[in-house]
Amino acid sequence: MATAPGTFDQEALPHLDALYRVALRLTGDPARAEDLVQDTMLKAYRSWRQYRPGTNAKGWLLTILRNTFINDYRRRKLEPVAMDLEAVEPYALPRDAAEADPEGDFFARIVDEKVLEAIDALPTDFREVLVLSDMEGMSYAEIAEALQVPIGTVKSRLFRARRQLQASLYAHAVEMGYIRPRPARADG
Amino acid sequence: MADPIDCREARERLQDYLKQELTPTLAVEVRIHLERCRSCFSHSRFEERFLAMLEERARRETCPGEVRERILRALRAEAERG
Repeated sequence: MATAPGTFDQEALPHLDALYRVALRLTGDPARAEDLVQDTMLKAYRSWRQYRPGTNAKGWLLTILRNTFINDYRRRKLEPVAMDLEAVEPYALPRDAAEADPEGDFFARIVDEKVLEAIDALPTDFREVLVLSDMEGMSYAEIAEALQVPIGTVKSRLFRARRQLQASLYAHAVEMGYIRPRPARADG
Repeated sequence: MADPIDCREARERLQDYLKQELTPTLAVEVRIHLERCRSCFSHSRFEERFLAMLEERARRETCPGEVRERILRALRAEAERG
C-alpha cells in the first residue's frame, strides 16, 4: 500500500476496478488503459488535498481520468470531429424486437465480449456517457459536471447511445439465432 | 383521473424513470401510464433488462492483479519522492 496523505488508500484505491474499466472503454486498448489509470491515480494522489473527504471519490477520480483521456490520450485524428451528435436522430427500437422479444430476454444471452465490442463501437461521446451512467452508476448531474456539458446534453446523448447499443445487440442476437424475427405479415 | 401522458411521452421518459432521474411529478406520470398500458409496461421491462445487463457486465470486469501492482508501485515511488 502506498503511504498516502489522509485516506487516499481507503478512499481512492477501492475504485481501481471502475477506473480500469472506464479506461478500457475509452482507450479500447489494455496497455493504454493501464497507463491512463496510472496517470489518473498519480494526479489524484498529488492533488489529494483538494479532495474533500466524504464527497464522491469515484466521481472525482472518473472526472480526472476523463480529462486526462481527453487531453493526453484521445486520438483526435481518428475521431469524426465535425459530427454533430445532438443532430443524430435516435435509432428507433427495432420494431420486430418489440414483437419477437418484447421483454428483452435476449440481452442475457449475449456473451460479455460481444456486449463490450458493441459498446466500443459507439462514438466516443456516446460511449463515455453510457459507461459512466449505466456501467459505473454516476448520476446525470455528476456526468454533466465531469464533462462540462448541460444535463440536457447528457440525457440526449444517453438516450441515443442506449438506442444505438440496443439496435446493435438486437442485430447480433438475430444473427446468432437468439431471436427469430417474425416473418413479415401478409397484411403488412 | 385521465392518463396524464401518452405512449410516446412515456417511452421517451422510460429510461430516465428507471434511472430515477425524473422529477417526482414526471415519475408519477410515467408510473400511472405504466399501470394502465400493457404495451408500455412490457417495454419498460425491455429497458429494465437492458440496464440491468449493463450493470451486471460492468461488475464482472476487474483490474488485473499485475496492473494493480504496477500502479501501487508507482504510487509508492511518488510518496517516497515526497
